[in-house]
Amino acid sequence: MDLAYTTEQDMLAESIQRFIATEYDLSNRKNLVASDLGYSAQHWQTFAELGWLGMSIPEAYGGLGGDLVDTMIMFEEFGKGLVLEPTLSSLVLFAGALELAGSDEHKHHYLPALGAGDLTGCLAYVEADEPTNFNFVATTALKTEGHYQLNGTKSVVLNAASADVILISARTEGQATDAHGISLFLVPGDTEGLSRKDYPTVDGLRASEVLLDNVRVPASALVGAEGAASQTLNTVINRGILAISAEAVGAMAVLYQSTIDYTKQRVQFDHPLSEFQVVKHRLTEMFIEYNLAKSLCMKATMLLNQNSGDAQRHIHALKFLIGKTSRFVGQNAVQLHGGMGMTEDLAIAHYFKRLMMIDATFGHTDIHLDAFVQ
Amino acid sequence: MWTQRGDWFKALADQGGWDVPKWPTDFGGPNFTPTQRYIFDLEMGKQPTPPQLPFGVGMLAPILMNYGSKAQQDQFLPGIRDGSVNWCQGYSEPGAGSDLANLKTKAELSDDGSHYLVNGQKIWTTLAQIAHWIFCLTRTSGDGAKQEGITFLLIPMDDPGVEVRPIITLGGSHSVNEVYFTDVKVPVENRVGEEGKGWTYAKGLLAHERSGLAGIQNSVMGLEKAKRNAQKIRIGAGTLLDLSSFKNKVGVLEAELLALEFTEMRTLARVAAGGDPGPESAILKLKGTEIQQRITELNLEAAGVFAAPWGAEAFGPEFAHGATQSYLGGRATTIYGGASEVQKDVIAKNVFGLS
Repeated sequence: MDLAYTTEQDMLAESIQRFIATEYDLSNRKNLVASDLGYSAQHWQTFAELGWLGMSIPEAYGGLGGDLVDTMIMFEEFGKGLVLEPTLSSLVLFAGALELAGSDEHKHHYLPALGAGDLTGCLAYVEADEPTNFNFVATTALKTEGHYQLNGTKSVVLNAASADVILISARTEGQATDAHGISLFLVPGDTEGLSRKDYPTVDGLRASEVLLDNVRVPASALVGAEGAASQTLNTVINRGILAISAEAVGAMAVLYQSTIDYTKQRVQFDHPLSEFQVVKHRLTEMFIEYNLAKSLCMKATMLLNQNSGDAQRHIHALKFLIGKTSRFVGQNAVQLHGGMGMTEDLAIAHYFKRLMMIDATFGHTDIHLDAFVQ
Repeated sequence: MWTQRGDWFKALADQGGWDVPKWPTDFGGPNFTPTQRYIFDLEMGKQPTPPQLPFGVGMLAPILMNYGSKAQQDQFLPGIRDGSVNWCQGYSEPGAGSDLANLKTKAELSDDGSHYLVNGQKIWTTLAQIAHWIFCLTRTSGDGAKQEGITFLLIPMDDPGVEVRPIITLGGSHSVNEVYFTDVKVPVENRVGEEGKGWTYAKGLLAHERSGLAGIQNSVMGLEKAKRNAQKIRIGAGTLLDLSSFKNKVGVLEAELLALEFTEMRTLARVAAGGDPGPESAILKLKGTEIQQRITELNLEAAGVFAAPWGAEAFGPEFAHGATQSYLGGRATTIYGGASEVQKDVIAKNVFGLS
């Protein structure tokens, strides 16, 4: 089995590393977090020029036709820099759903523009009444003479404020908990009847509650067959889990490494902390757990890439293990930094918070452990 | 709110010194036996009563009663008791965390012996921004063991040589600070006890402070609340509390809390019988803080993606915003008052005799 990256993949990782090293130190990131947009439009153009935005878009639509391994590599590197740009929302979730279920017209209209950085999108799939189940959809889409009329509320929609278009799950038939009867609709952010309550998130990103009050969209806004969106959602969310798991792997790599560095220079009781056996063992445990998480992330990526029947089980195992490991590595990074680990001035606080939200996104450890053992 | 708070402590005082439950009768306290104090804390812990800031009433006052001069007791205890004077604790320094005796803030006695000149820096000083006074461990001599040559001084925060700089912590809140001293003149009258004995005075109290940090009653109530929160989160036909992976964690915590409660009772029984708290007491802070942190995790899991919103307005379940803050802020409990790793060394040394 050859697990080595291709030359192109190595170059992809290196180009992101170079970008982060020059553009993404903690103070630059803090400025972006505090900015109106919440990320850098200029960086987004750079991402397009370097081919990162088009990486997973098919060649027929102006992209590079990369696979999930490429996505994993990119997100692992993004995780090392705590990148704020809406790659998960716009590429993995929005472009991913269009590529899977959209019509030729949808794809021609959106995919090249997404890859070129001229347009961003996001996915609204969470509802407050059962936030861990994407098949819980109480939002309705009523069909009327060539139009659909949407009503309901979508929660914690990542990057909704900056997105040009929001892909919204709404029910065209059945009960709120039915897997069948869910449809996806393309709704431009400025559509009449759509309003938002925007907020910053604890990890420095942006999200919104999206309120739909008699929002009318043309029949052409429907993505995929009516009532059949559950499978599309399942697939893009699986890819989303892979992407943020890879991001967590990158973030954990930085955390354990910076904890090693800190314990080497922090002296208490006349010795660097790194000389105490309890600290050495803890660092080693962080390294071990990190590597197990990375391994499972790689395996799940390969299986989903091959559309293996065993992929879903591995996705559940992965999301569980990423959550568990993120807590272990994150909590111990803070613990071994002592009081310093609690301050917003050090990068580790920001990695810790991002890992915390990765754990919570797409369902936390218990949800996936339970699904895994079923 | 502050009026209500004041009324509450006045009502407690009227019961015979219940506002200062740990103070002896000589100083207006109720002189509770260890068992009475345990029952008092237990009952107070069951209700959402306003907590008293611990620095004056709980930390400084016992030191003044034991080692302070009559003049110091007369000057400071009334303001501590009625809450009109806020205190903060100046122990930790950038180079002196778990290794507290490594502190470097220098206090030099003037040639005429009238005052100390204090220079140095404290860190993690809780609520220094509202404190009128700080009680400090300072170094008056570098000779001998690190624990020697430490002197306990009382310093007014409005001295022009005292500067407070905020530290913003993980939960985005401002409660801890850096405190800088530049040529601060402290009259010798503000030294507590003898020069060079400050470590001895502070040490006894630190052990006491630690056992108070176990927060067992808070955890018992917190776990019940976490269960109620989990029942508000729908998962399929049931709730999060029905999910076996979640429910098992709740069960493990409940069992451990039952055991920890009784461990506290064993400590209490020894003290009530006139003995010292015994080795079990060392377990309380270690295990108690770990349990506190695990309960914050349960609430964070129940909050799910609604842990994310970080604006003024809350979304999702009403407990979600607080759950995020508690989880983040709670990471400090295994660090402050002696990091858990160091506490374990202390147990190995004091209980097993391993150096």
